[in-house]
Amino acid sequence: MASVGLGSFRESNFKYLLVGPAIFVLLLVGVFPLIYLLLVSFQGITMTETSTDFVGAENYRQLFDDPRLWQALLHTVVLTAIALPLELVLGLAMAQLFLDRLPGRAIFIALLVLPVVVSPIVSGATWSLMFNHRFGPLNQIIGWIMGKETILLWTINPNLVYPAIVAAEVWQWTPFMFLLLLAALGNVDRSQLEAAAIDGASWWRTFFRIVLPAIAPVMSIAILIRGLDLFRLFDIVWALTQGGPGTLTETISIFTYIKGFRQFETSYTAAVALLVVILLSALVMLLLRRVELAR
Amino acid sequence: MKNRFTGVRRAGWHVGALFAVLTLACIGVAHAQSAAKTAADAAKKICAGKTITIVWEAGLQSLDPLNFSGPLWEKETGCKVKVVEVPTAEMFTKIMQEYRAGTGSYDALNVIPAWMPDLVQAGALEQLDKYVDKYGFRAELQKIAPTYRDNQMTVNGKIYGFPDDGDVFLFYYRKDIFARDDLKKEFQAKYNYPLAVPKTWKQFDEIGSFLTEKLKKDGTYGASFFREPPYTMYMFQERFRVEGGKFFDANMKATVNSPIGVKVFTEMRNENRFMPPGVEKFGFVENLATFLKGESAMTISWPPYGRFAAGYLGSEKALEWVPKSTVAGKVGYALPPGGHPQLAAGFALSVASSSKNKEAAYLFIQWLNSEEISTKRVQLPYTLRDPFRDSHFTDPVYLGLWPDAKDYLAALKAGSQTGLLDLSLIQTDKYEEALRQGISRLWAGEDPKKILDDVAKQWDDTTAKIGLEKQKAVYNAWAAKSGAYPK
Repeated sequence: MASVGLGSFRESNFKYLLVGPAIFVLLLVGVFPLIYLLLVSFQGITMTETSTDFVGAENYRQLFDDPRLWQALLHTVVLTAIALPLELVLGLAMAQLFLDRLPGRAIFIALLVLPVVVSPIVSGATWSLMFNHRFGPLNQIIGWIMGKETILLWTINPNLVYPAIVAAEVWQWTPFMFLLLLAALGNVDRSQLEAAAIDGASWWRTFFRIVLPAIAPVMSIAILIRGLDLFRLFDIVWALTQGGPGTLTETISIFTYIKGFRQFETSYTAAVALLVVILLSALVMLLLRRVELAR
Repeated sequence: MKNRFTGVRRAGWHVGALFAVLTLACIGVAHAQSAAKTAADAAKKICAGKTITIVWEAGLQSLDPLNFSGPLWEKETGCKVKVVEVPTAEMFTKIMQEYRAGTGSYDALNVIPAWMPDLVQAGALEQLDKYVDKYGFRAELQKIAPTYRDNQMTVNGKIYGFPDDGDVFLFYYRKDIFARDDLKKEFQAKYNYPLAVPKTWKQFDEIGSFLTEKLKKDGTYGASFFREPPYTMYMFQERFRVEGGKFFDANMKATVNSPIGVKVFTEMRNENRFMPPGVEKFGFVENLATFLKGESAMTISWPPYGRFAAGYLGSEKALEWVPKSTVAGKVGYALPPGGHPQLAAGFALSVASSSKNKEAAYLFIQWLNSEEISTKRVQLPYTLRDPFRDSHFTDPVYLGLWPDAKDYLAALKAGSQTGLLDLSLIQTDKYEEALRQGISRLWAGEDPKKILDDVAKQWDDTTAKIGLEKQKAVYNAWAAKSGAYPK
């Protein structure tokens, strides 16, 4: 009886033994840094202070007294709120356009996807040249249209700096949306579309009642991925403005970098990083629930 | 016997005297041996076959150890040099990160002198006094131009770096334009003083505005400056002090927002009106190109501008990016208005405290910094290392490098005597960052007073966080240095 019981125990737990090492590695890689981050955020490590004594919730108290942090968060949200819908709408429009068979379709798609392949810092540097007041083509073109030399300081003028960043960001990442949505649109049930056409449904009605619900799960994932990316936005902004003028375009990633690696406010930076982790986790959970609902 | 004995004694005395003379001569020779030779001989014994890793500014600066000093050191000592190129903006971070990690992967360092209090307090730099005495380098250190030697070498009286770069802002102007009779007459009539190198910022504004008015149609502006915030920050620091400003009051409260600060900020922005359009985005290269193409009559920059403008590039491939100078032979050199140029940035050579080859690293930097080797290094057209020893300013080879080289070196020497130090405190970068951001807001059109009030608040917050008394002691030590404020 005992041997039978032991055998049954082994059999029922064998699967856990198999996945155990993988889970251990995942916890080690994923959870340990978070625990360490939490630990550091309660210490007082700075450029000159290497003592690991605990300072209580001092760094978290400082979070609430730091207007620059909240401004950086606001800038991040604003950039996300502008760029994400633009990328979604443009990506969807382009996907719709390339859904039908066109001559040279494959070549066009390959060309359209090129920006995604480029490193964001290179993309930022390229756009920095595009916006260059002396040699950049943008000012030249505007000058031709205006009929006189036009010098717009895209990365200095407070009214132009956000459009400049959004343009660079949208240029680089719209193709990503396009690719995902093109795949999703290709999988929409043709019979439903044909039935709608036979019933005389308008294009808009078909789109909102059949196409959109069908691509909603993929679209949600695309929004989730791009939303998270935008929240971590660093390279393009760094290459274009380094967060300036002043701190007008400083995103939370740039703020964290400056605090952590320029000013060595190690423990405070850990607290900021944890705040971002918490905010993003909440956002991800919310979006995932919506994806579930969409299913 | 007596005579013989006396003769033997006399012969013995002669031999003794001869031995003594020879010994003294040997000692004399040993003392006369150059610091470079002393370092190289010692390094042969402890470093041959090993590799020293040195952090150097990326780009042209690194060509010094890569093309010249590194190979020569290896030839003389058998000790290899590995150069880690780091962009200036990242150097402090990399040095600190490596120190914190404690890997010992850097042996010698290039550090900007303003960082020294931070790096010393963190423990990242090795104190060099014991090596200086061991290898008899103190006398040669005294021959470094006083401004650099007295201000950029020590922290709390101890040596942590050898000043190795005579970075100082010079004023460059077009002699041919300033010599034009028609312009001289018109200017005299309008402003009631002769058209000449401006001695004050008011004169600079008037001359710049006048020249733009007269020469813009021919494609030349009265002046152009680099205006990107990191560069302008140095220009502001200089000008603010030249106009009588102090960074802090006796209670360590920031006074950068004083009427003097607001005046300087306002004038700086107004000057952009007579400079090329988009000057707010000019960096080192854009401004250089503007001046070399003859599109501006006056500018202020680091010493390499003078060499590039004179066409002293050699046949270096590394300098192919430098626009061909159309103003060679037409450029005059002077001190900026006020006569107290900023000793902007610069470099000192230090030894990393975490190095596993500290003595070898020390010997390498002594050799680099020695009179013999540094004289050659500051004449390399591509390395951007500028004269910093008294002998560099009078070196016959350097004086003959181009027709006006003597004027250039005279201006550099004058700058080395009256130059102003960069502000250097604990966590200097926080103070500089506030100023840099303030300057970018200035170009964006915000109110100078409001900007400087914000900068002052950020400075006060930083001071409070570091500890008022602690920072005050560091500031007072800095302010007591000869190059902190104009005398």
